[in-house]
Amino acid sequence: MALTKSEWIELEKKASAVRQLTLDTCYWAGGAHMGGSLSSTDFLTLLYFKYLNFEPKNYADENRDRCIISKGHIGVAIAALFSELGLLDREELKTFNLTGSRLGVHLDSRKVKGLEASTGSLGHGSALALGTALAARVQGKSYKTWVLLGDGECDEGSVWEAAMATANFNATNLITVVDRNKFMIDGNTEDVMKLEPFSDKWRAFGFEVIEADGHHLSKLSDAMEKAMQTKDKPVCLILDTLKGEGISFMAGDHKWHYGAMDEVKYELAKKDLLEYEAKRLARVEKEA
Amino acid sequence: MKEVSITQDDLYAARIFFNAALPLLKVVIQSKPNIKKKFEKKNFVFQVSALYDMAPGGKMATHLVFNNGEITVKVSEIHPKPDIEFVFPDIKKFIIFFSGKGMPLPKMKGIVKNMGSFMAVMQGLLTMSKLLGSTDAPVAIEDQELLVKLFFYLLPNGISQLNKAGHEKIHDFALKSPDRAYAFAVTGYPALNSYIRFKEGNSKAGRGEYPRCKPFLTLRFDSVMHALDILMSKGDMVDYMANDYLKVEGAPEFAGIVGEFMFVIGDYAKAAYMD
Amino acid sequence: MGGMNYTVVDSKKLATAEIYGKTLCELGEKDKRVVALTADLAGSTKIGDFKEKFPDRFFNVGIAEQNLFGIAAGMAKAGLIPFISTFSVFASMRATDQLHTDICYQNANVKIIGSHSGTSYGQAGSTHHAIEDVAMVRSLANLKVIVPADGFETANAVRAAAAMDGPVYIRINRGFDMNIYENEDYGFEFGKGVLMNDGNDVTVIANGCCVFQAIQAARILESDFGIHARVINLHTIKPIDRDIILKAAEETRRIITVEDHTILGGLGTAVGEVVLESGRACAFKKLGLNDCFSAIGFHEDLMTMNGIDTEGIVKTAVDMMKRAHVVEISSDGKTTKALKFDDRDFEAEIDWTDEV
Repeated sequence: MALTKSEWIELEKKASAVRQLTLDTCYWAGGAHMGGSLSSTDFLTLLYFKYLNFEPKNYADENRDRCIISKGHIGVAIAALFSELGLLDREELKTFNLTGSRLGVHLDSRKVKGLEASTGSLGHGSALALGTALAARVQGKSYKTWVLLGDGECDEGSVWEAAMATANFNATNLITVVDRNKFMIDGNTEDVMKLEPFSDKWRAFGFEVIEADGHHLSKLSDAMEKAMQTKDKPVCLILDTLKGEGISFMAGDHKWHYGAMDEVKYELAKKDLLEYEAKRLARVEKEA
Repeated sequence: MKEVSITQDDLYAARIFFNAALPLLKVVIQSKPNIKKKFEKKNFVFQVSALYDMAPGGKMATHLVFNNGEITVKVSEIHPKPDIEFVFPDIKKFIIFFSGKGMPLPKMKGIVKNMGSFMAVMQGLLTMSKLLGSTDAPVAIEDQELLVKLFFYLLPNGISQLNKAGHEKIHDFALKSPDRAYAFAVTGYPALNSYIRFKEGNSKAGRGEYPRCKPFLTLRFDSVMHALDILMSKGDMVDYMANDYLKVEGAPEFAGIVGEFMFVIGDYAKAAYMD
Repeated sequence: MGGMNYTVVDSKKLATAEIYGKTLCELGEKDKRVVALTADLAGSTKIGDFKEKFPDRFFNVGIAEQNLFGIAAGMAKAGLIPFISTFSVFASMRATDQLHTDICYQNANVKIIGSHSGTSYGQAGSTHHAIEDVAMVRSLANLKVIVPADGFETANAVRAAAAMDGPVYIRINRGFDMNIYENEDYGFEFGKGVLMNDGNDVTVIANGCCVFQAIQAARILESDFGIHARVINLHTIKPIDRDIILKAAEETRRIITVEDHTILGGLGTAVGEVVLESGRACAFKKLGLNDCFSAIGFHEDLMTMNGIDTEGIVKTAVDMMKRAHVVEISSDGKTTKALKFDDRDFEAEIDWTDEV
């Protein structure tokens, strides 16, 4: 089912709020992984506010859907998202990165409730997610597992070990999502370590590949629904995204993989995000 | 006298018979009450020798000292005036006789004067040769146990003797060996146990349980009959291991070498190299 | 033991890894959460029985150790109790990051069974020798480390690991271990060393396959040299049994550690840390691989070459006794113990005459 207009608008606002809070937290923390956070935000918003069978109040319910954030460096976006979900107190975001805080660059699942796994070292999430997916099968449970990968992360061999195993075990209760923002720390993925033909790689590993605009909630929603409905093969959902989406001076600049900003930049970014939200809402009006 | 050429194999075989097999006469006598009784009041020296120019004293010999039932074995020692002596004209004939390949009778000295002792010794020797020479396991249970014991004593002794004689394969193994003992055992029959200890070229055959520590490797049979099957070459070692009739306590890789040495001794005891 | 599906008689002939396989089946029977995973080493690590009995709870991930550890962590997070079986060398080093991050950092309830540890797969060479694994895993927080000495202890260790929450690394051999126990009922206690032989001259602390060697060495030290060696099977390296170590340091004043492992970071280091931190004086010698890779060969021969067999322990103990012995010093009516260094001579004449 395509998003209704009101639903779409509501989700746009949620996504805006997460982006805003991510920016705030980055500013408070004196630096964070903004680029990859912003490229993932739309997907995470849709997942957590619409599709994931996950009740923040019952975050440990054994029948919940799981999402493993393999690109663990976007802890700042997750913290913001979890705050929006009511899992984290907004005030606590102000302690991000500070000594003694429960929150830091890479979040700790033993400290942050609702977080499925402590990640940060890249290439780990796929296997972890496959583990929970296979566990569901062993336990006769119907929950789904999602895993969000970065594209640069796919340089790691362990991603492909897990990909091979996911197809081998035909884990159709696992949906692999790659945030294809085309950038890694040292530059463009195609300059540092070529990924293309990227979708062909996943297909060759036995996946049904679905590609979607990662910053268009309605299209993304359709793609996610298609992914959830695919039962004969495991799915890889590749999100066409932009690193730093929503903040003009960050967008498409790999230097904003990680960065800090002064007050001037922060205010500029805030303004940018508001303009971006307006643009997005205008699109809803046009397309819905 | 016709010149007989003695080979290295002859010397190894002779060494096994003189130093490992003949001493078993004592075991046979002590294990058989009816034979043992005949030695109770006898005092004499019995020697078996084979003439050999190259040996010190011109012959190889082993003698047993009988002293009112007590028996002392003196291997590789020539007694100057034994009461009874079997003298073989050469080593080959000695081997042919004791391996059962033929009956080149030795010159028997002192039997008239010591007829009683001679008869007793002959009874012991015949019992021993019957046991060791038979192709089927003995019927009597005590004979089965005795035969296992004789084999268990013979094998380590034979291996050790060949090592001391410089047998290429065995001595090479001994030279490379750290301090390790290899034992033979039948579960439930500790009196049958024997072992051989190696260390840097040295070796020692011993009887009973290895006293210093657990042996490096033990070939442990589950029963006397299964031990006899293997010792009399009637069973396959690998099959027996698969069926748990024979268990290797220790690293299985090392069981092979012990098995190989067992065959070396068995072949010399049958003088197989003469075939 | 109730619920055992193999008899003690059976287990005597079973290789250690096979006992692990049987015990795992027994646990799988009792607890549906138990799952077994391997990376193409189901046969070599003897978990084939589990695969046959519980095909739905068995996962072979192919030759992909990182994936193996990651999947197990995910399963543990979902409430299963995964047992990973692979060679120690791969368990400790091929997926250390996954072991560190996915399992230890998150305190995932994963049990790791590293087989073919030390130089026990001697013929395979250093690519398959695991002589650093204890040093690697001992340094990982949350991870408990057990090095059983024989099949019976392996069964106990596996059960103990299953019974506790959190990650456990169990290091076992290729198999063919000499049994040091008659059965499983010798009072195994996780985290507590086992006194195998009492003595007050010197203490030999060993684990894994070296425990058998230490026991044999103690017998020889007693019979050939009149040295009374205490032997401790320190099967749990982490958490370490401080009490048994300090008691030994106090009462024997000489400690030799023996491990089929590098002396950098393993059992010897762990024991040394305890002694040093206590401030007690103690003659101390670590036996193991001394900052080198091992030669290729049969395990038993490698143990000899590396000085961790019976003979190596005897030599070290005799040497240590030569160098130092305990004397009592009286002053002001008080008696205190101290170490005196001298040249006591131990001669062992060996009679190489064959018994006839």
